[in-house]
Amino acid sequence: MVEGTDGSGKSTQLYLLKRWLEIGGYRLHFTEWNSSELVKAATRRGKQRRLLTPTTFSLLHAADFADRCERQIMPLLQGDYLVLADRYIYTAFARDGARGCPQKWLRNLYRFAPVPDITFYFRAPLDVAVQRILSGRPKLKYYEAGMDLGLSYDRPESFRLFQARILDGYDKMVESDNFVVLDGTLPVNKLQKQMRDIVASKIDLKRFAPRADEAE
Amino acid sequence: MADHEKEKDKEKPTTAETSEAQPPTGSASARSSHAGEEDVASAFFAEPLVGFDPGEISGTLIVIEGMDGSGRSTQISLLQEWLESEGFAVQTSGLRRSNLVGRDIDELLAKNAVTRLTLALMYCTDFFDQLEHRIVPALKSGAVVLADRYIFTLIARSVVRGINRDYLSGLYAMALRPHLTFWLNVRPETAFGREFRKAQAISYWEAGRDMSLSHDLYWSFVRYQTMIKREFEAVAKRQNFIELDGEASVPTVNKLLRQRIAEQLGIRATKYTPSSALAHLWR
Repeated sequence: MVEGTDGSGKSTQLYLLKRWLEIGGYRLHFTEWNSSELVKAATRRGKQRRLLTPTTFSLLHAADFADRCERQIMPLLQGDYLVLADRYIYTAFARDGARGCPQKWLRNLYRFAPVPDITFYFRAPLDVAVQRILSGRPKLKYYEAGMDLGLSYDRPESFRLFQARILDGYDKMVESDNFVVLDGTLPVNKLQKQMRDIVASKIDLKRFAPRADEAE
Repeated sequence: MADHEKEKDKEKPTTAETSEAQPPTGSASARSSHAGEEDVASAFFAEPLVGFDPGEISGTLIVIEGMDGSGRSTQISLLQEWLESEGFAVQTSGLRRSNLVGRDIDELLAKNAVTRLTLALMYCTDFFDQLEHRIVPALKSGAVVLADRYIFTLIARSVVRGINRDYLSGLYAMALRPHLTFWLNVRPETAFGREFRKAQAISYWEAGRDMSLSHDLYWSFVRYQTMIKREFEAVAKRQNFIELDGEASVPTVNKLLRQRIAEQLGIRATKYTPSSALAHLWR
């Protein structure tokens, strides 16, 4: 499971980890935050019409996650699959918390979620992360930039302030939620080596190797 | 994922725990006077709604609860007409009526392709969208809001499907506490007949068919609605429900509702006869 602010390099790293495990033939499932078909229409509608408030924004994502959790993550964990998640409930704790949702309410909202065996947290300094996003994107979207918080009328500036709050939220969870902190500014291949070493040492990968009757 | 057995235990909503978990009931004053000096927390069940000041509320939130076939919607139509004739602005709310996800829930129900937790969270989203975009603005402008069901139905439905009560009251911690909550109590057997007459059918969800209680539609309906009814009985006192006999005639129930609402609004309980548009409901 990987977490980190936008632009911290986490998706690239998780992709490489996935390739490594796939090539090794392990049974795995990859899941992304906010990817269920279920709430796509509602999220789009809510964003276009700017109907979303901190509370409903958070609830919609929770419904999306519950759907994936009940239909994919839980059954697959039961069936001895490795599950790789690009973002997890900590995204909600950091981001929805930055929007003002009470932590107690958020923790309760997601308490059906399985606790990850490893949570990688890719930490990149605010300036680095913000720069990576701003240079690669023509225009920031309204909610992405945290415009709904009314922090600033300037989108890049609002994005920066919003990301600063999120980063702060992640940092607060490092100890309480046992994050494995990785330096998001390291070269990609070095970071990936660290990640693979940690996975190999913490997880008994043999359990996820193909069963005899599944080979070929 | 070495210890997924442990993780199973963490999935709390499925545990059968039935501990005392309803939101704490506030002081009696929280429901009689509502303008201003109340403690902020008592306006909500447990936590304040993000970015919202309960001091701005000058309207009145009235909830009508009761199973399908208890006469809720009939009474709400009549109450709306009565209140408007008395000069009050009225706003209504109900399940699956939000702009955000109302239609999505309809689709999910039609396809029957959704798990209970996801459905509970979709209903919760629907509820808060209406609370923030419909109920709260109306209450700020001094209107009377008539809510056709509220969090109590939503919680009861999920509890009977095995979702942890504590979890659910946590979800709805930021719901506004109604000024009045009426419970139109009827026997499921009566409700079945009334519902059947309306559409010459009983819907899958109304009969709780997803719970595999009985292959027989009638018994499935009766058993499901009885379970919901027990949940209501369990919270009625704590939540200060005003219980009315939903088996009584429409005018009788309506009179009791008007008396109690008039008292709340500080007006005289005047006589009321429905206009010709609603006369067909008056039986």
